[in-house]
Amino acid sequence: MTHALLWVSLLLQTQTAAPAVPAEATSFLQSGMQSENTNDVESAISAYRRAADLAPSSAIVFFRLGAAYVKKADYTDAIPPLKHAAELNPDAPAIQQMLGFALLGAGFASEAIPHFEKVNEAGALGIAQLQAGLPADSVANLRAALARTPSDPDLLFYLSRAAAQLSSQSLDNLLASFPDSPRAHQAKGQTDWQQKMYAEAEKEYQKALALRPDLPGLRLELGQVYEAQSDWPKAENEFRQEAKTQPGSAEAAYRLGDVLLQEGKMKEAAEELQRSNRIGPDMADTLYSLGRATASSDPATAVRAFTRVTELEKQTSLAAQAYLALAGVHRKLGKNEQASRDMQDYRDIRALIAVAP
Amino acid sequence: MLLLSLCTVGALAQGQKGSAPIFHVIPMRGVDFVLRNSLTQKKYLIETMPGGVAMLDYNNDGLMDIFLVNAGHVRDPMSPGMGFDRHEPAYWNRLYRQNKDGSFTDVTEQAGLANAGDTNYGMGVAVGDYDNDGYPDIYVTNYGKNILYHNNGDGTFTDVTAKAGVGAGGWSVSAGFFDYDNDGRLDLFVTRYLDWSVEKSKTCGEKQPTYCPPGDFPPIANILYHNRGDGTFEDVSVSSGIAAKKGHSLGVAFADYDGDGFTDVFVANDVTAQFLFHNNGNGTFSEVGLDSGAALTSNGKMLSGMGVAFQDYDNDGLPDLVVTELPHQPYIAFHNEGQGAFSAEELESGFGALSGKVSGWGVGLEDFDNDGWKDAFIVQGHVFDNISFYDGSLHYLDPPLLAINRKGHFEKGDAGSDVPVAGRGAAFGDLNNDGWIDVVTTSLGEHPRLFQNRGGNQHWLTISLRGKRSNRDGFGARVQVNGQTRFATATGSYLSSNDKRLHFGLGDVDAANIEIHWPSGIRQTIRNVKADQFLVVEESTAP
Repeated sequence: MTHALLWVSLLLQTQTAAPAVPAEATSFLQSGMQSENTNDVESAISAYRRAADLAPSSAIVFFRLGAAYVKKADYTDAIPPLKHAAELNPDAPAIQQMLGFALLGAGFASEAIPHFEKVNEAGALGIAQLQAGLPADSVANLRAALARTPSDPDLLFYLSRAAAQLSSQSLDNLLASFPDSPRAHQAKGQTDWQQKMYAEAEKEYQKALALRPDLPGLRLELGQVYEAQSDWPKAENEFRQEAKTQPGSAEAAYRLGDVLLQEGKMKEAAEELQRSNRIGPDMADTLYSLGRATASSDPATAVRAFTRVTELEKQTSLAAQAYLALAGVHRKLGKNEQASRDMQDYRDIRALIAVAP
Repeated sequence: MLLLSLCTVGALAQGQKGSAPIFHVIPMRGVDFVLRNSLTQKKYLIETMPGGVAMLDYNNDGLMDIFLVNAGHVRDPMSPGMGFDRHEPAYWNRLYRQNKDGSFTDVTEQAGLANAGDTNYGMGVAVGDYDNDGYPDIYVTNYGKNILYHNNGDGTFTDVTAKAGVGAGGWSVSAGFFDYDNDGRLDLFVTRYLDWSVEKSKTCGEKQPTYCPPGDFPPIANILYHNRGDGTFEDVSVSSGIAAKKGHSLGVAFADYDGDGFTDVFVANDVTAQFLFHNNGNGTFSEVGLDSGAALTSNGKMLSGMGVAFQDYDNDGLPDLVVTELPHQPYIAFHNEGQGAFSAEELESGFGALSGKVSGWGVGLEDFDNDGWKDAFIVQGHVFDNISFYDGSLHYLDPPLLAINRKGHFEKGDAGSDVPVAGRGAAFGDLNNDGWIDVVTTSLGEHPRLFQNRGGNQHWLTISLRGKRSNRDGFGARVQVNGQTRFATATGSYLSSNDKRLHFGLGDVDAANIEIHWPSGIRQTIRNVKADQFLVVEESTAP
């Protein structure tokens, strides 16, 4: 709603066009506008009503009346004058916009949509579509609006809502249309996993695997379910099978390497992480895990890997972790001055992250 | 000498490693104690945290006795200003004297230990001979006022808290005696958890009430008491620098990690960086956890430090750290790299594969199979009694973990029990004087459990120190036997106090060379000592 009011405010500020109005009605119109300027909306509405009685064919008068109602968040009362204004001047973008906002504010999202479409108002249209249960269209329009104003927090908020609704809707469609398909079980498994219902997630993934053992990514996800439970041997088994069937997957190699790392199998982990890095070079997570796997046995490789992470990540939490790890390796090598510099870099990044919005 | 010693240790590693359980869990005859923590619907955080156990020989008869800290009655709900209730005997702390036949007799009342402080909620215990009279004294930590019981040497104790000035206050957790200034008198360190009271208590959980995390409560400073030598202590927390760091502190352990001759302090903190207080040798400490590499996990994460052991697990002569914590992070091994540096090696050490699903509390680094390498024993159990509701992969109750040390790498062993409990305290020592280390554990709502070592064929040596210029317990001494190193202390684990004797597994070697670096600076060497004996070593007078 805040967003809608912002749009209204903008609209009122830019409204300039006004049809011819009888003199007495013009006087009330001006009086109403002056009241609005002093935030006396009730007086403005009263004046606009008098003007409307005197000039029933003036679109600007009905627009002002409707807009004043919108200003006081009285959307229900705003709609009739705005509809009348739209009938009188169907081509006025401002009227279409305001009518759209009034309808949206009153909960008539579907009815608001054509008015926003007429004026190509992507942001408001996306919000209306979201509320009308059209998440796919909503996502498209909100993305278009964000392309113009990428840092608009309201648009980002509605986009996240629309994307979630689209995801949920797509899942519902999948489950309704193909309830026993491997993808349906995979999707249910993902949902269970997110809700930490690991036993249920595991069952769904197993069902999916029974139907389509070759489906890429299934074992990767099942492995992560085991990983979330710190069940490293089972996770290793799944990642190993995924890496075998998907030898070109850098993620499968990374996941396998990382779980081997958790199991303390440092040499195997290093080999797998090196392989992942060859398939998909310069993935920061892979390099970080590679550094951890080699920190004791091959400090030179560890230093290279951690240093590369700091180059790739700059001022992120992972970069801070890499500097901390570098300090550890350098301390181990007796390079205490370098370790102190690493620690200072670590502290600097942590401080930056701490104050970041 | 060092090379020879290391070769000996290497030979020991080839020794037997049976797959049979190391322990059998047996009833402690005569011990009817139940750790009554009083679970409530209000989910008072304090009810999740007790209770400690000590292994000590209070009457110097050569048999290890047991002191158990009870918690207290918690009304549900508590009214503002209301204290906890220890009046009923079921909530008392208990001292059990060991008899010659291995059974125990409850001597709490005759020893004068029945009064636990009626409004206190009990937590932990520390043992040390603070007045060097040859009898171990007992310090009990509480939520409320801590109590120092002086051992009168005739089987009784006297509450000397007021005179000694060590009552503390707030929520004390673990404690330990050590001589930080090498003046020959034991000082006292007390960890405190957080700024909590019944009035400040909160209940968390969206779908089901549960305990709030420690981060919901302000951190609080730990306490260091300096022993003046006249039966009184001075609170030097501020002047020493200890109070400059506030944490959510639980476990504490001591060792001289950098070999400068002064005992340092490691404090396990819950969801805060761990503290390593470096002893500057002038009465002050500097907290160097982060810069030394002993504050965070290897991936830079905070850990929920609970219990801690501070001993040398890889026989390189330098004390390492093992810290237990909550699930989804492995138990941490901070390996001492020398020159004051540690590496977080939770994965390299093998603990990554052994933990992650469990919560660890009391921990000991002891050579349970006498092969010359210190193993780890950890009691486990989650904080929340309803954790499975929030995370289906976790359990409230868990059996203990025995981690066998294979040349510095830990692998799962058979602790002899799969019975899940809400484990908390653990004390380590040779309870039956057979040369094999036993464990006594505490569990919420349960009797204590004795993990009696089944023994074997390996040789061993147990050393009792008698300080002269140094404190009588010899705490702070660095003792090396055949390439192994132990730091003399009864402190470590969680809330608990261990057998102060120093135990060494010798494998198939039947003799030992001993080198002792006393806190006084005196270095003492004893060669070709016969294995399989309890040896008393009195501090020599000559440096």
